[in-house]
Amino acid sequence: MDLFRLMWKFFRVGAMNELQYRANLVLQLLQSLLGLVTGLIGLALVFTFTNDLGGWSRSELLAVMGVHIMMGGVIRMTIQPNMERLMGEVEDGTLDYALTKPADAQVLISVREIRIWQMTDVLMGVIILLIAIDQMQAGIGFIHAIGFGIAIVLGGLMIYSFWLMLTTGAFWITQVDTIIQLFDGLYQAGRWPVGIYPDWLRTTLTFLVPVAFAVTIPAEAVTDRLTIQVLAGAFVFTVLLLVLSRTVWKIGLRQYSGASA
Amino acid sequence: MKSTIRMYLGYMRLSILQQFQYPVRNYFYMVGMIAEPIIYLVVWQTVARARGGAVGGFTAGEIAAYYIVWTLVRNMNIVLTPYAWENRIQRGQLSGQLLRPIHPLHIDLAYFTGWKFVVIAMWLPIAAVLILVFQPAIQLSLGNVAAFVIALWGGFLVRFMLQWALGMLSFWTTRVNAVFQLYFTIELLLSGRFVPLSFLPDWAQSIAGWLPFKWAFGYPIEVILGRWSPQEIFFGFAMQAVWVLIGLAIIALVWRAGVSRFSSVGN
Amino acid sequence: MSAPTATIHVTNLSKTFHVPEREAGIKAALRSLVHRKTRDVKAVDQIAFDVTPGEVVGFLGPNGAGKTTTLKMLSGLLYPTSGEVTVLGHVPSRREKDFLRRITLIMGNRNQLQWDIPAIDSFELNRDVYRIPDADYKRTRDEFIELLDLENLVHKPVRNLSLGERMKMEIAGALLHRPQVLFLDEPTIGLDVTMQRRLREFIAEYNRRNGATVLLTSHYMADVEALCKRVIVIHRGHILFDGDFRALVDRFSAYKTIVVTLANHQLDLTEYGQVIAADAGKVTLHVPKSETARITARLLTDLPVDDLTIEDPPIADVIERVFAQDAPE
Repeated sequence: MDLFRLMWKFFRVGAMNELQYRANLVLQLLQSLLGLVTGLIGLALVFTFTNDLGGWSRSELLAVMGVHIMMGGVIRMTIQPNMERLMGEVEDGTLDYALTKPADAQVLISVREIRIWQMTDVLMGVIILLIAIDQMQAGIGFIHAIGFGIAIVLGGLMIYSFWLMLTTGAFWITQVDTIIQLFDGLYQAGRWPVGIYPDWLRTTLTFLVPVAFAVTIPAEAVTDRLTIQVLAGAFVFTVLLLVLSRTVWKIGLRQYSGASA
Repeated sequence: MKSTIRMYLGYMRLSILQQFQYPVRNYFYMVGMIAEPIIYLVVWQTVARARGGAVGGFTAGEIAAYYIVWTLVRNMNIVLTPYAWENRIQRGQLSGQLLRPIHPLHIDLAYFTGWKFVVIAMWLPIAAVLILVFQPAIQLSLGNVAAFVIALWGGFLVRFMLQWALGMLSFWTTRVNAVFQLYFTIELLLSGRFVPLSFLPDWAQSIAGWLPFKWAFGYPIEVILGRWSPQEIFFGFAMQAVWVLIGLAIIALVWRAGVSRFSSVGN
Repeated sequence: MSAPTATIHVTNLSKTFHVPEREAGIKAALRSLVHRKTRDVKAVDQIAFDVTPGEVVGFLGPNGAGKTTTLKMLSGLLYPTSGEVTVLGHVPSRREKDFLRRITLIMGNRNQLQWDIPAIDSFELNRDVYRIPDADYKRTRDEFIELLDLENLVHKPVRNLSLGERMKMEIAGALLHRPQVLFLDEPTIGLDVTMQRRLREFIAEYNRRNGATVLLTSHYMADVEALCKRVIVIHRGHILFDGDFRALVDRFSAYKTIVVTLANHQLDLTEYGQVIAADAGKVTLHVPKSETARITARLLTDLPVDDLTIEDPPIADVIERVFAQDAPE
């Protein structure tokens, strides 16, 4: 399909490009490592005082952390660079170049950038997750892996849709880049299972900024908490968000083209 | 002397004028930054409840108080990021600053001081909301509040001087990001930003005592929470002063060398 | 020219930059991690000149000639690799406060004024930074507002001003402390002709009223022509010429331009000189400078001339010839 072909092309170019800057790899590794150490220290501190946080054991929380790091890596590798570039181009009017290419504009602006070195976070997250599963001593089987895979994909698509709608806001308001910082802050909340947060925050983190779907739900898949209903609900919600974001995108494009005409 | 004071007031005024022109940006930034302490707050309150009410000498309500005051202290100790130096040096801003018969430190200090007043004003409604939602347990006393005000600005100065000094590394290498990240991570863990210092194991608390970080973070917070005796509070003021002086000493020593290097290499 | 009376004294001044060399390819990148190769670039090579108080000197030269580097060394932003510089009796690189209060460096493409507040507020900040006494500040400020027609502009945020208005503001702000030495680096770049002229007049007036010494670099011949009696031509870090502007033209121009208007449109003038253009009876000729009088006489006697003018070649061409002469082996 066209979409995947484009994605692969851009991935290759982007990867080749970034591979030149090996200093960035070292820096990225250091950053990931420091993030990991901080997270582990946090976890260790919490567990010097208690054996259970909101019903989650230590190794289960480790799993959450692994998913959080992994998902963060995916977001910073694929979603965020594209959205940041989109924002920049809306601001200086260079979005036109993307719009005059013979490909669906939304696809184009969504796949053309990749920060390959964020892969370190993805790998690290997976490693942490595997260590956590090993420590959990609960039977994690094929079913759970499938559930996890589906949940991750759905979560990723939801985050993507959310980011797209947020960035499309740039068509109307110019100070959108500060909203990015807002997201980063809220995403940090995903470090812990959203169940521990007060209701209003949990709802925000589920339906407003789908952090819960990106992190907690997949984590629930591997910790044997996920129900088929929730997964089905996630599926419905994903479709909803994809449709909604595409609509908002189209409206935004009309606004953009109308404005510059 | 009169000129210097007027200059400080001038730049403070400038900063206030400019920052009030970007209320949305400032607010989004502040709200985004609040996510961090709220997460800590909720996690530790959950731990406290699991232990039957308190953890590390803090009740759930006191934890809320700690992290709400945190938001003010954090906003106050945000200073010139060391990453800005790379920009200044590469983009030629520094040249412009070097042409003026005044040390750029004065201008930065004046500008940030003015900005802090805007920050305090903007923080008040946020604090009100946080207090309503999380219902902190705090007992204010006049002495503690007065000491807090001093400690708050003291913390700002400590962090300002030390980070200004840190930024000067950029004169010698562009690969400073790694150093900065390490610095900030250590600061995060040993300043009282991550968790109240009393939650840390003893050996970590000893290390934290030797570092400047707690004087810009944990110390002011705990002062207003009434956790320090008057003697300890005064000791804290002295420590803040010491670290400000250390920062100034580093700046005095390194600045000339840095400018020399910049002037040899150009931009 | 005796050094003590010179405002600016430069001898044997050189500046060499060590520019890192970067090659393509993975192997080179690996190698560069261990050993950084640098290339030496001599931006300024043994230049020397003196400038007396009140002089207005123009620096001419193509991009990369060393003009900006020289100005930066004169203003203390760059340390010389070798040689001596004194400005107003100070060594610029020491950046003494007294020195900094008596100079100003204006670069055409850089903004010193605060962007989002009215210029008048930036002026007041300058007053405090430079410790200008209140009475002097007010007098200078009002003088500049009048000279540059800034009355309606000073209270607008700088970002709302047009490019030309902004440049006026920048120059006003940069001169509030009445510096005795002005370093101007491409001050009129990007401005329209009227504004260029305006700024030139202002600088000339400032020089007249204050006896300030002015060093000016520019691409625009008009700037140099209008303001500078003395011109220093720099190319590849060397001084090619230092003297009167007219002398520069005389020495380096090889030809003069004769424009003849004839009644008869069909005449061919190639025997008189190089025909550059022939357009409805108006013929433009380039003739060797020494031959000008003789050829002019011939034209007037031989042909039915309606009108005849003799012009110097455009200064730009002259300068190009100067650089071409210095072209490498």
